[in-house]
Amino acid sequence: MAQDKEPIVFGGSIPLSGVFAFAGVHLHAGLTDYTSWINSQGGINGHPVKYVMEDTGYEVDRSVAAFKKITGSNTVPVYYGDSTGFMKTIASELNSRGTTLMSGASFATALTDNEQYPYQFIPGPNYSQMFGIILEYIASQGEGGEKPTVAFVYSDTEFGKDPIENGKEKAAELGIDVVEEIVTKPGSVDVSAEVLKLRRVRPDYVVFHGYVLSPINEFMVQMRQMGLDTQFMGTFWSSDKLIINKMGEDADGYMGVMPYNYYDSQESGPMLDALRAQAEKSDPEAGYRPTGYMQGWFNAMVWTEVVKRTLDAGKELNAKNMAESLSSIKDWDTGGIIGVPVTAKNMSFPVGRIWRVNAKEGRYEPVSDWIQLD
Amino acid sequence: MRIGDAKQTYEADEAIWTSQTQKLWFALFLLVLLVFPFMANAYLLYLGCLVGIAVISTTGLNILTGFTGLISLGQAGFMGVGGYTVAWFSLNTGLPFPITLLLAGLLAAAVGILVGLPSLRVKGLYLAIATLAASVFLHFIFAEWESVTGGMGGLSLEPAHLFGATFQSDFSMYFIIVPLAVLMVFAARNVFRTRIGRAFIAIRDRDISAEILGIDLLRYKLMSFALSSFYAGVAGGLFAYFYRVVTPESFPLSMSIFYLAAVIVGGMGNLLGGILGAAFMTLIPEILKLLTAALTPFYPNAPVFMSPMLEIIFGALIVGFLIFEPHGLAEIWHRIRRFFSLWPFRN
Repeated sequence: MAQDKEPIVFGGSIPLSGVFAFAGVHLHAGLTDYTSWINSQGGINGHPVKYVMEDTGYEVDRSVAAFKKITGSNTVPVYYGDSTGFMKTIASELNSRGTTLMSGASFATALTDNEQYPYQFIPGPNYSQMFGIILEYIASQGEGGEKPTVAFVYSDTEFGKDPIENGKEKAAELGIDVVEEIVTKPGSVDVSAEVLKLRRVRPDYVVFHGYVLSPINEFMVQMRQMGLDTQFMGTFWSSDKLIINKMGEDADGYMGVMPYNYYDSQESGPMLDALRAQAEKSDPEAGYRPTGYMQGWFNAMVWTEVVKRTLDAGKELNAKNMAESLSSIKDWDTGGIIGVPVTAKNMSFPVGRIWRVNAKEGRYEPVSDWIQLD
Repeated sequence: MRIGDAKQTYEADEAIWTSQTQKLWFALFLLVLLVFPFMANAYLLYLGCLVGIAVISTTGLNILTGFTGLISLGQAGFMGVGGYTVAWFSLNTGLPFPITLLLAGLLAAAVGILVGLPSLRVKGLYLAIATLAASVFLHFIFAEWESVTGGMGGLSLEPAHLFGATFQSDFSMYFIIVPLAVLMVFAARNVFRTRIGRAFIAIRDRDISAEILGIDLLRYKLMSFALSSFYAGVAGGLFAYFYRVVTPESFPLSMSIFYLAAVIVGGMGNLLGGILGAAFMTLIPEILKLLTAALTPFYPNAPVFMSPMLEIIFGALIVGFLIFEPHGLAEIWHRIRRFFSLWPFRN
């Protein structure tokens, strides 16, 4: 569809190479496909959308270089940041420029501090809110007035430690006993000593955070071999099919918190259907699209909504106005990407659902309703 | 036309400049550095600042590894000490940047002396592992000493300031980073005109012979570690002011390898090599991206397929240098200079 108006640029520092490339290529595909789709719908208020990105290798200095390069040759109202490190690093420049609203791959709790990061938002719940959703689910599973017990296993990284303090507070608030905390290196393989600690306390639930796969699989296999009936749960980046693909039948019963519907879920909605149709059109061979794809698409949806609201209000597309537009999002229908109308709170969307692996079917199935935090 | 390089006095042998032409070229280079920020866009200016920081750190490592022969994988750790020192003093005392940078350098130098202590007993790969261990230890301190370092979340700091002026933009930071880089390279050049620098070289060439000549090995090895860490500390301090945030993940082990690679690719034991290596390692990934940009109009999905390739090409370039030009980029530069010096008699 031809449009004569100035294009609106979606900028992005995208990790197509480096350690986060496994997700980066799908984030990129989600953003690319959304751009094609929105342009086929007439763009944003008649403005075509142009997606301009650079590979960063998941390195902060290269991400900053990409940001400077892209914003130097385009007017960029919205931008995708590839890591917490980059988003923290660029914050001071973002604040002084006041031209660009940013979101990205990070769900870091710190980024929802409006004082320090007024122009950055999370396209879903932040990690603390994910823990909140998980703990609300766990609290609802108690029987006979007894609350289940929980253990936190997290990586020795900024990513891993992010929600732990808030998670402990939330657990105390809900009357859940955190019986053990275990810190490991991300990607650890030998966790037998840690498994013995968990065996001693026998938690009803173990919540993993700060990993993509290992050592989640190691913990699960070893603890099941010991005959423990512990339930295992994880947050966004450890709740994709990777765990099913790597563990097979052993992944059965693993649960994850996910703010979006899975690509292969039985849910539907006009936008979810459009996403599937566009994904099929852009790469008919690809089949299942990972959660990174969903996140990229949803990111771009929020940008569109924010830009649209700002333009509709007759305001300039600057960071302050767009941040206000973001805050005005209330009971927004995402067309099935998220199963309930969502409201932006504190530069995030604190909503999610618990999904459980059905290993036989090779997919996640919902086990809770959508949980929205206050 | 220059037809020779005869030196008739010790002073001539020690001189920084061997000809008027050299002085002229250097003046021109300084002029380019001065004009650059007024002509460059934000992206180039950012890269210019990054190269400046890398030059300081690489020069420091070159003093230790290239000139003294003591291999180190601790450079990122020393930079981290500098970065955190600047952040802590800036946040808690409000001191202006020249003081905090000096403190960053001095504290890093003190840590460098401690880390250098094993260097009398161990060298080569053994020393590399000892410095690697120090780097891991420092990383642990950055992550765990929360009351000082802010833990994994790190510290955010205010812009550098001096006499009421704040240095917030890349443009203003350029005028801190690049002059300091020039100054510190010059300082390093002068070190090698003194007894200290010559002692470093003697230790590199054969430490037992150096000791027989009366060089106190421990003293000079520690001095080399201190000097090298001082450079790293200042580079880390500039890094902190430039990005205005320091976290343990700002100074990963890969950063130490990056600087070691810069020294090797540029040319070990050659200050010009350090500069060229730092520029090469910083800029080549960006230059390689131009390849992708050139392909994108014909093949829109080029970034997805080209990005992993670029990593391979970057690695292959480094390996290529090691095989075909083991003396690094500096040797290529010297060959070019020789060609013009001797032209038209020999090429």
